[in-house]
Amino acid sequence: MLSATKILRRTPVFNRMFAVDESDGLEEINSWPALMIVTSFVWLAVAGLLGVAMPLIQRMDLGTDLYYMALTAHGAALAFPFVFQIMVGISLHRAGGCVGKPVSGLLPALIYLCMNVGAALLTVAILLGFSVSLVMMYPLPVVGVGNGQWSYGTLVLAFTGIGLVLFSMIVFYPVQMLKIMFFGQKRPDLILDERSINDPGMLGMALAALVLLIMGTPLLIIATYVLVALYGIIPLGAVAWATEPVVFQFAFFTFAHNLMEAMALMVISGVYATLMLYLADGTRQLYSNRLANLSLWILLLTSFSSFFHHFITLFPNLPATLAYHGNIMSWGTGIGAALSIFTILATAWKHGLRMSAGLMTVLMGFVIYILDGASAVVTSNVAWSFQLHGTMWQSGHTMTVLIGVSVMWMGVIYHHYPVMTGRMLDEKLGYWFISLFTVGAVGAALVMLAGGAAGMPRRFADWAQGGWMVYGDLIQLFGLLMAVGLVLYAVNFMKSRQIDALSESPATAPEPAE
Amino acid sequence: MLDSLFLSGWGAFGMVLFLLIPFLFVFFYVVFRKSFVDSNPGTTDAKKYVRLEGMWIGLVVLVFVGVNIASIGYMPTVSTAKAATSGQDIIDVNFTAKSWVFDFAEATIEVGRPVRFSGKSLDTMHGFAVYHPSGKVLFTMMLMPGMEKPTSLIHTFTEPGTYTVRCLEYCGIAHHEMRDEIVVIKGTG
Repeated sequence: MLSATKILRRTPVFNRMFAVDESDGLEEINSWPALMIVTSFVWLAVAGLLGVAMPLIQRMDLGTDLYYMALTAHGAALAFPFVFQIMVGISLHRAGGCVGKPVSGLLPALIYLCMNVGAALLTVAILLGFSVSLVMMYPLPVVGVGNGQWSYGTLVLAFTGIGLVLFSMIVFYPVQMLKIMFFGQKRPDLILDERSINDPGMLGMALAALVLLIMGTPLLIIATYVLVALYGIIPLGAVAWATEPVVFQFAFFTFAHNLMEAMALMVISGVYATLMLYLADGTRQLYSNRLANLSLWILLLTSFSSFFHHFITLFPNLPATLAYHGNIMSWGTGIGAALSIFTILATAWKHGLRMSAGLMTVLMGFVIYILDGASAVVTSNVAWSFQLHGTMWQSGHTMTVLIGVSVMWMGVIYHHYPVMTGRMLDEKLGYWFISLFTVGAVGAALVMLAGGAAGMPRRFADWAQGGWMVYGDLIQLFGLLMAVGLVLYAVNFMKSRQIDALSESPATAPEPAE
Repeated sequence: MLDSLFLSGWGAFGMVLFLLIPFLFVFFYVVFRKSFVDSNPGTTDAKKYVRLEGMWIGLVVLVFVGVNIASIGYMPTVSTAKAATSGQDIIDVNFTAKSWVFDFAEATIEVGRPVRFSGKSLDTMHGFAVYHPSGKVLFTMMLMPGMEKPTSLIHTFTEPGTYTVRCLEYCGIAHHEMRDEIVVIKGTG
């Protein structure tokens, strides 16, 4: 059996950054999550370098093919093997520790292997010329073979990679999460902080797992049919229903949109859970569990059908009523977010905060997430969508939601790191990281939104065409700030020091004197 | 006021700032105060929290409903339906999109006369975005191959000039070169 502990111990850098503590008997909830988290950092480094490189490629006129390759590789690395994988790692550790169930055996190995092997195959295909952007733009992958942009073999390689990633996200991870939450024997020796499904910190994780499984299944079936046909096992004609662009696009965006919302559900749950641990009065209670859970339920219900906003400009092929439905549902998610804002602020006001680098990171991630939420609801409005769809606004929105979600997780890691590794991260370095990163992320987001407002197209290799290069330069500048922040984040793990976690962790430090 | 809000990308940007700036102000005030100035538990009465909660939800719902109702008159879907049933003489501009060109039928487009743009994609996903000579996006359409009906929208130009058309849906390695022009002339009537 593949051992995550052994991989962590034997892999250079990994063994310095995230070697699990083998002395505390918690390997079964620590090893696979730790391996997933540290592997996600590798993909973050890839995505970050490519992100910073993209404006440079345009500024130095290094070629449009190179730009589209970087664009596709950047999006693919950022969304799945980084953001999704870091979420998987931390959520499995949290779930295991909250209900006392192991994260071991075949399922976590399959989640890990399918995600990373799949992402690696897709990356190889991209290097071979498979430049289709983050969302594939189906039927572009097939059309690209027809007009000589890439080969049939490259298409099969890319779809194999995508298929593996989808199995990891839609089947193996949700099944593992639901197994932990609802099945199997509880093991008291694995319980770190017992919680029930009624706890807002747990509810979002269960809902997210269900969303991924249910909303992803149609896409998985369609993608599997297409893949089997591409392998030549069944004739392509037999899957004509699945290869219709409208079928594939709607299945894809039903999943892709709800994937983002599932990640939001999951991380808002994580924010609630983490916030409770850093209250100055030590009560470990939110302002209102009722309000916190209501925000998650509203987010869940409104996000199901808000995906129609991706197709507003397809009118009249998307009926106006469905466009408006997507519009209203999207703004409905804003109501859920507004309740989250109130819960977090009222909790802070009522109980006071014991600020730490981890909590600050979580809260700044929440700020970035709300910035994204504002950009998302605005572009989901039918009137604005006809002016913004396809512009840099959308890229700003996508980047910001991914960054907001991942920064919240990166903050949660500060809390769990001592438990997982028996080591401690430096607080001052943590504050430097989040300060630089927040300025970079908010700056880049606002510049991208402004670029979109000015008509700058997204996924476009010639910013000079419309005088948009100035936005590119500013994105580059703020991107560099984010990159410096991320270097500090990584350095913090490299410099982490051995501690007696229970006495020194900020989460378990003695309560301040009343 | 509403025209500049709903008929430009910058209006959308302004709305983001309108939603964001009050949030940032309150958020940082509360977090800073309860972390670094006075982290003791608040002494606010429970009834005040409930009242504030109600006010906050009411305010958010009011803003959200207000914005979305006000925007109805500016939705191209609504203006298209209005123009189609107005009895006005509509100029039809049919086109197809294929990697990486647009193919227009000949048409004379005049200021003040509604134009129905109807387009289909012949291969992959394409966009059809019309840019005002100033660089502002007037509207964009998504063209998905395989649809029975064309994507269609009615727009009335208010100024003569040369308008740029760009594909805004990524369609492959020459996507950025997929553009064309529309000439709008002064009305003869």
